Amino acid sequence: MFRNVLCSLVTETAGVHRCVSRAPVIQRLTAAAASSASSAPFRSFSDVKDEVQPPFDASLLEFLVCPLSKKPLRYEAKTNELINEELGIAYPIVGGIPNMIPQEARLIQKDTDTSTTPTQG
Amino acid sequence: MAASMRLLVRRVLRLSHRNINVAAAGGSGRSGCCSGSSSCRCFSDATGDRSTHFGFETVPETEKAKRVYKVFENVAQKYDVMNDAMSLGIHRVWKDMLLHAMHPQPGVRLLDVAGGTGDIAFRFLEYVQSQQERQKRRAARSTQTPSWQDISTNYSTEDKDGPQESKAVVCDINKEMLKVGKQKADSMGVSAGLSWVVGDAEELPFDDDQFDIYTIAFGIRNVTHIDQALQEALRVLKPGGRFMCLEFSKVTNPVLARLYDTYSFQMIPVLGEVIAGDWKSYQYLVESIRKFPDQEEFKGMIEDAGFYCVHYHNLTGGVVALHSGFKL
Repeated sequence: MFRNVLCSLVTETAGVHRCVSRAPVIQRLTAAAASSASSAPFRSFSDVKDEVQPPFDASLLEFLVCPLSKKPLRYEAKTNELINEELGIAYPIVGGIPNMIPQEARLIQKDTDTSTTPTQG
Repeated sequence: MAASMRLLVRRVLRLSHRNINVAAAGGSGRSGCCSGSSSCRCFSDATGDRSTHFGFETVPETEKAKRVYKVFENVAQKYDVMNDAMSLGIHRVWKDMLLHAMHPQPGVRLLDVAGGTGDIAFRFLEYVQSQQERQKRRAARSTQTPSWQDISTNYSTEDKDGPQESKAVVCDINKEMLKVGKQKADSMGVSAGLSWVVGDAEELPFDDDQFDIYTIAFGIRNVTHIDQALQEALRVLKPGGRFMCLEFSKVTNPVLARLYDTYSFQMIPVLGEVIAGDWKSYQYLVESIRKFPDQEEFKGMIEDAGFYCVHYHNLTGGVVALHSGFKL
C-alpha cells in the first residue's frame, strides 16, 4: 500500500518539479519511504505484542490449590488472578505463570483494593 | 500490607499446628515429642528467629530464603551455560541417569520442584514420547497384516493423546528461573503437557495425592526447612508415587575428595566471575554443597518424612547422589 502511495508521490512531485533534477528528490523520498516503511511494521508488531498475553492453562486448576488452606481456587479472567474465596486472597498470574507465593497474594476482603508490593517478606 | 499478610499466614499455620498437636497428643511418646518440638518451633517463629546456614555463613532463617532468591535471580540468565562449564557437561549425564532410573511410562504426572529452567521436565517429556513411539511400533509389529479398517482406526487414535497424556509441572520459587525455562520451552516448541507454577517447596500449591513422580534436582539444599519440603513431597504424591532427589553429596574416595574440593573452591567461583559476572553466588553454591547432609543422613531424613524403600546411588564417586523413596 505504501509503495503505491510512494509511487504516486514520486510521480506527482516529479511532475511538479520538472525543472529540478529528479535524482535527489527520488533519493530523499525513497529514504523517507524506507524509514516510514520500516517503522510501520514495528508499530504493528508492538500493538500485537501488547495484546497477546500467554493464556493461562485452565487444566492446572484440577490440582492447583491455595498453598495456605489447600482449598481449590477460582480463575478470574478479568483481573487474571486465582481467587481463594474463603481466605479472600488473589494470586496473580504473570506471563501465563501463576504466582502461588502467599506473600505475593493480594487481599480482597476489604472494598479498598490493597495490593501487596512483593517485599522481602 | 505485607505485615497483615504475614499475620494471616501465621494465623493459618498456628491453627494447623494446633490441629497436628491435638491429633498427636493421643499418639505414642515419640509423636508427643514431635508435637512438642513443632509447638516450640511455632513459638520461636513468633518471637525470635532461629538461625541456619547460608553457605558457611550463619543467618537467621527468614534471611536465608531471601538471599537464596537473590542468588538465583542473579544467575538465572547464565544458569545453563554455567552448569555446562562447571560440571564439564557431566550434569547432563546425571540428569539423564535420573530419567533412566525413573523410567516413566506414558500417562504419568510429574512434579519437578525447584525445576527452574526445566531440564528435568524437558527430558521427561522426550522420554515419554519415545516410549510412546516404541509402544506404537510394537503394537504395529504385532498386527502384521492389518486390514484397511484397522489402519484407518489406528490413524484416528494416533491423533487423540487423551488417555496416554503425560503432564509435567515445573514448580520453582524463583520467577526469573521459570521465565528462562519458559523461554527455552517456547524456542524448542515444547508446550503440550508442560506447566509452570511459582511456588514454595515448603508450601506446595497442589492438592493431596496428585502426582506419580516428584523430582527435585539440585534444589533441596537451598530449601530452608528440608523436612517440611519432604513432608510436602509425601503429601502431593499418590500412594505408590515415587520421590526422587538428585543432589550433591559427600565424595567417598579421599583423593577424589581433595581434587573436588580444590576444584570447587578455586575454579568454580572464578568461572562464575568470568562467565556470569558473579563470584559470590557461586561461592554460596559450593559452600552450600558442603553444608548439606551426607548420603546416609539424608536417607534418614527421607525415611523420617514417611517414605519407604529409600535407596541412594552415588554418581561420579559420590559427587552426586540420587535418592529415591516411595509413598506406600
